[in-house]
Amino acid sequence: MMGVLEIIIEFVLMFAIIAGSIMALVQKDLMKMVVIIGFQGLGLALLYQRLLAADVAITQAILGSALIPGLIAITVFKTRRSEE
Amino acid sequence: MNGADVQVWSFVTAGLMFIVGLYAIVFMENLIKKVIGVMLIGDAVNLVLITSGFKPGGIVPIIGEELYNNASGLFQGFADQAAYSLPFALVLTNIVIGASTLAVLLGLTIKLYQRYNSLSVTTIFKEDES
Repeated sequence: MMGVLEIIIEFVLMFAIIAGSIMALVQKDLMKMVVIIGFQGLGLALLYQRLLAADVAITQAILGSALIPGLIAITVFKTRRSEE
Repeated sequence: MNGADVQVWSFVTAGLMFIVGLYAIVFMENLIKKVIGVMLIGDAVNLVLITSGFKPGGIVPIIGEELYNNASGLFQGFADQAAYSLPFALVLTNIVIGASTLAVLLGLTIKLYQRYNSLSVTTIFKEDES
């Protein structure tokens, strides 16, 4: 039986994921968008861990918080940083 | 509040992520933000599959120490408590495929910027017609 506090953690993570994806899409500076996308991927990995999928959480933590923001950051460096 | 509420609201979270990603693909002006919309839709599908395998009050599908010491009821206890682990294996493949698709999309974005010197879809369409 899960306590109330453990369920509050999952609701906070779900709110953080939705708020992170909306906040990332309204940024004008694209490097801020890259940082927020990294934290959103990390929150998604923590939610996978809370939903009893430990192996998927490890893969998502590596890819979603390090590799994908790195790829987007390389793209931003090779194009322009501010949105026209 | 109990564990079944977590499952329902996790489905709702996946639906909201799908809506946000679809809005980004259709209405955003910048090409990188459209690519991020594709990534959000892929994450939403992964979250739906993970949530369908979730069991409220269950354990991670790994045989731990106290379950192993209870050797007489080992299989019975594992089948009763563990989460359903087939969607986890599928999602593990889908995350890696999604990352490589994202890399290809970002490479195409760089090539479009080198050709049209802009990331805005309106400018790219206008220069393509002229």
